[in-house]
Amino acid sequence: MSFSLKRVYAIFNKDIKDLFKNMFVLSTVLTPILLAFLFSQSEPIPVGLHYFIINLIFVMTTVYVQGAIIAEEKEKNTLRGLMMSPATTTEIMTGKSGLSALLTIVTLVVCMRITGYEFVNVPAIFLAFFMSFILYLAMGTLLGLLTRTVMEASLVLMPLLFVFGMGTLLLEFIADYPSLAFLEYLPNFQLQFLAEAVDAGQAFTDVTGYLIVIAAWMVLLCILTVVVYRKRAVDGK
Amino acid sequence: MDNILSVKALKQVFSKETAIDNMNFEVKRGEIFGFLGPSGAGKTTTIKILTGQLHPTSGSALLFDVPSTKVNHPKYLKKIGVMTDNSGLYSRLSVYDNLHLYCELYSVENKRKRIDEVLEMVNLIDAKSKVVSKLSKGMLQRVTLARALLHEPELLFLDEPTAALDPANSRHIHHGLQELNRKGTTIFLTTHDMQEAELLCHRVAFLNNGKVQLLDEPSKIRRKYSDDTLTVELVGGEKRTLINGPEGAQKMYEYMLNNQVVTMHSNEPTLGDIFVDVTGRSLL
Repeated sequence: MSFSLKRVYAIFNKDIKDLFKNMFVLSTVLTPILLAFLFSQSEPIPVGLHYFIINLIFVMTTVYVQGAIIAEEKEKNTLRGLMMSPATTTEIMTGKSGLSALLTIVTLVVCMRITGYEFVNVPAIFLAFFMSFILYLAMGTLLGLLTRTVMEASLVLMPLLFVFGMGTLLLEFIADYPSLAFLEYLPNFQLQFLAEAVDAGQAFTDVTGYLIVIAAWMVLLCILTVVVYRKRAVDGK
Repeated sequence: MDNILSVKALKQVFSKETAIDNMNFEVKRGEIFGFLGPSGAGKTTTIKILTGQLHPTSGSALLFDVPSTKVNHPKYLKKIGVMTDNSGLYSRLSVYDNLHLYCELYSVENKRKRIDEVLEMVNLIDAKSKVVSKLSKGMLQRVTLARALLHEPELLFLDEPTAALDPANSRHIHHGLQELNRKGTTIFLTTHDMQEAELLCHRVAFLNNGKVQLLDEPSKIRRKYSDDTLTVELVGGEKRTLINGPEGAQKMYEYMLNNQVVTMHSNEPTLGDIFVDVTGRSLL
C-alpha cells in the first residue's frame, strides 16, 4: 500500500484554507480558551479543574472539528470525490485529521499556559494525552461519518459533550448513584484519575491500569471508524 | 476493439425495489457509449456500481477486466474520471483551488497548464479565480467536468454532462468530448438528450425500468425503425410520401423529369420517437 505525503498535505492544506472562511468551526475552538481564562482567576486550580478544561478541549476541538469537517464533506458530497480519487483511506484520514491535530495542540498549549498547568511524570501524561487524542479523533471521525450534516453533527455532539467534556460534574453524580460507577471507565475519567495519581506522586507502573483502559478505548474506536468508513465507501450515497 | 467494460446479469435491489434487473452490455475501448433513459431508469445507479461506489446485489461488472467491486483501488481509480450531477466541490474555495487539490491527488504534472487546458475545454477560463459558491448551476457543472478531465482518464463516466447548460456551452462541451475521444478516451455518457446522443455516441443503449431494452448504433436503430418512406416537397408546396420500391421510384422519376422536386428526405424517426415506441415512456 502506497502512502503519499503530497496527497496528505494537499488535503490538509485545503482544510486550512477552508477553515479561515469557516467562522462556525473557528468560534467553537475559542470556548475552552475562554473557560481557561475564567478558571485562571481562582487560585490554586485543582488537577480536576485542569482536566475539566483538557477534556473539554478534546471534545470541543478534536471531536467537534473532526466531526464537523467530515460531516460537511458528506453534506456537500465532497467526501465522495476524495474517495473516488487515488488517495487511500489512510491518506484521506491522515490529511483530514491534520487540522484537528493542529487546533487541538494549539488550544491545549494556550489553555495550559493560561491556567498554568505543569506536567508531572511526563512519559505517563504524554502517552495518555497521545492515546486520548487518537481516540477522540476516531470519535470525531465516527461522528462525521454517521451524521449527514454539520447541524446534525452539532446536535449529536451535545450528549458527547455532557459525558466526555463535563466529567467533573458527572463524577459528583456518580458519587450519589453507585450503580453508575462503571462510567468511571470512560476515557476522560481515566485520564483525570491518572493525572491525579501522578500528581500525588505515583510512578508510571502504578498508573498502567489507567493507560490500558485508555488504550482499549482507542483501539475500539479506531476499529469502529475503519469499519464505518469502509461501509460508507460502497453505500452508493 | 476490445471491451473496456463488460456487464453481465447485473441486478441491484434497494429494500425490495429493483433498480437494475438482469442488465447486460459491453463498452468497447475508444467508443462513446450512450446510456439513455428517463429519470429514475437506473442510469446513476449503474454508474455507481461501475465506479465501485455501490456493490451490486448480483451479477458482475468488469472494468479493465477487474470486477467493479475491486476497482476502488488507486491503480484503477487513476484510469477513471467521474462526473455526476451532484457537484462535490468545495464551495468556500476558488475554482483554481478546487482543481489544484485534485491535481495533487492525481499527481498531475504541470498543474497550472493543465488547469488552464481543462478550463478552456469547458469554456470557463475567466472564472478561474471565482469562489465556487458564486457560480451558477451550469458553471458548477462545467467545473465538475473539468475536474473529471484533469488526469486524462482512460475511461470517463459522465452523468448528464450538459443538463444545465445553454446551447452554446453544450456545443463547446460536445466539441471538447469529441476531441478527447479522438485522443483515445472511452466515454460512458448518460443522458436523456437524444440530440446529444445522436451527435456524440457511437452506440446507445435504451434503459427503462432498470433493463437495457435496445442497444445499437444510432443510425442502425433509426434505419431499423424507419417506415421505409420518403417525403418529397413539390413546386407549389405540395408534399408527397413515397414508399421505397418500384412504384415509388416511378413516381419520383416522373417528379424529377418534370423538374417538380424542391426537397426530399427519408422519414426516419428520431431516437426520441423510437425510445417512446420501444419503452412506452417519454424521456423526461
